[in-house]
Amino acid sequence: MKSMLMKLYILGFAALSIFFMIIIWKVTFAHVIEEYHERQEVLEALDVEKENEEAPAKTTFQKIILDSEETVKHYLGYKVLEEKRIKGHFHHIGMDIGPDQRSYCVECHGDMPHDQIKDLRAFLNMHAFFIGCQTCHVKLEGEEQTGEFRWYDRRTGVIIPSPVAFEEPGTYKSKIIPFESVNGQPTRIDSDERISFAREFRETKDALTEAQSTKAKKLIHKIVSKQPYVCEDCHNTKAPVLPLEKLGYPKERIDSILSTEVVGLIKNYTKFYMPRMLHPGDKSEKESEQNLTPDIKKNKKPLTITKID
Amino acid sequence: MKYARQVLRKHVNIIIVFISILLFNFTPAVFAADIGNCLLCHKYPGISRVDENGDLRLFYVNEDIFNNSVHAKVNCEGCHTDIKKVPHDPAKKVDCLIECHITEPSTETKFSHKDAEFFLANSVHSTKDKDGNPKQFAEDMPTCKNCHDNPLYRPLSFFKKVRYGVSEASLGRCRVCHKKDEFIYRFYNHVTTRLHKSRNPLNIAEVCARCHNNPEIVARHNLSTKAVYSYGETFHGKAARFLDERIPDCLDCHVRKGESVHQMLANDNPLSSTHKDNRSKICTNMDCHPSATPKFATYSVHAEFNKTQSPVQYYFTFFFIVLTGGTLLPLMGIIFLDCIRRLFPHAVIKRRK
Repeated sequence: MKSMLMKLYILGFAALSIFFMIIIWKVTFAHVIEEYHERQEVLEALDVEKENEEAPAKTTFQKIILDSEETVKHYLGYKVLEEKRIKGHFHHIGMDIGPDQRSYCVECHGDMPHDQIKDLRAFLNMHAFFIGCQTCHVKLEGEEQTGEFRWYDRRTGVIIPSPVAFEEPGTYKSKIIPFESVNGQPTRIDSDERISFAREFRETKDALTEAQSTKAKKLIHKIVSKQPYVCEDCHNTKAPVLPLEKLGYPKERIDSILSTEVVGLIKNYTKFYMPRMLHPGDKSEKESEQNLTPDIKKNKKPLTITKID
Repeated sequence: MKYARQVLRKHVNIIIVFISILLFNFTPAVFAADIGNCLLCHKYPGISRVDENGDLRLFYVNEDIFNNSVHAKVNCEGCHTDIKKVPHDPAKKVDCLIECHITEPSTETKFSHKDAEFFLANSVHSTKDKDGNPKQFAEDMPTCKNCHDNPLYRPLSFFKKVRYGVSEASLGRCRVCHKKDEFIYRFYNHVTTRLHKSRNPLNIAEVCARCHNNPEIVARHNLSTKAVYSYGETFHGKAARFLDERIPDCLDCHVRKGESVHQMLANDNPLSSTHKDNRSKICTNMDCHPSATPKFATYSVHAEFNKTQSPVQYYFTFFFIVLTGGTLLPLMGIIFLDCIRRLFPHAVIKRRK
């Protein structure tokens, strides 16, 4: 028994000596090595920053906010507020919304695709944050129409129950997507087939001829309507496109969305522009250009205009 | 009906207590300044666009966080003065130096951050030199938003012991005279936040690090050290990493006591707190090392573990690292091997024949 206890004591002592060896290694040589690597990383990061400055990539909300690893922790004593750091931004954002991994539209058009109309662009981008592109840009008609819209998780793409009751307005980690009728069955419009076709095109587009590329783009954008749904199509009390109640909106939120305050605000904005890139090969360009406002003409961006009023 | 009245009378005290609890627990600790209903749109995180330079412009305001900031009482149009109607045109850049609608109570004049501009213009961070000519690389000099985001309240409780947060016991005392909870909460948060640093030492160091740890800026301005990196090497910096609030941060040493933090002066300025003649006063101040001698402050605070910047410190530190590791690691190894021998006293490694 005594010998057994002695052996256990020695075993514990051996384990302790290994533990101390690790500690001593960490505070001496490992510390020097770690510091060296940290410095190298800083220098590499600076090089990357420089490269990015030289060739600025398309700014995306996802890249800067949702995917950004640059966070800042505010130590307030009674709590720690951790948020993404946006250079030069005064107000705190304090949000944690993952990027939209499902949408194949944002891969080409970005997650802030609306940039033409000064009055509207921020509003439209705001809606695009929780409404899938197809919800406004695809008008299902006839047999295809189901009138069904549901929420999908931004990260997983899976259809989920409505988040509206549990989260602050617009801070949902999910988006609304329409359902079309396929063989009499309601099917989500961003089907796996459509996604894989668009992604395959994106990956192989450099190897395609111009004609092939245009054809592929046409196929991808085939479902896109020439005229999207506009604000008043949803923000009206008579027949809003989105079935807000079915989407889980409580009565007070519906009242707010359809309030005169919101509808009145919308009435102050009248112009909507459809980018031609959503209709590749469209020959109505000349007709459309006649309707362009002077500042748009100056930019010479081929657009189709739809005026609401 | 009669029975109901009897029950009501019997339990009136309980009902009053219940209503009081409801009232006190659900009294908002935050105060909206959104008179113009700007949050009708700006409460949505996605409200954003890409500007003409290709940069992201985010117009989202987190209401909960804003209402716990020192600007909670300032209306949106108090800073965004060009916005007169909704929907509005693209807003101009906010000028932090404007007079806002709040009255500064000691002088009863309109409140403004204008003084910060004056202090900054006379500091080492000024964009102009002593003669009023633009400095070289003036664009590197900080403007308001380089250092400041919206400052958040960091309330303290002193009732029985000093801790973070709001003391409900103290609020009860406030309520004896003051009747509006909105006023009480705001005043309490404001005063207790201002009685200590509104930012943790680590947060302050991180702000300074944006420029002072940037090797390009350090090189451009011929600075002797990556200041926050070398601060992180000291005992103070290491304690700051463990979120110690008592530890000195950049501002404690580089700003003269009683002066504005914006009035930071160069080391060679005789008025600077870090001038060689004044340096000892920093360490020996009442809150830090009051009994220290002037010699205490002669050590190189910003020495880096770097051959070029501080060769003496580098070789000295390197020697001690090697000495410590080189002695203790083999010692632990020998102890371990000794333990193995004691566990297996008769074990032999068979030699190949």
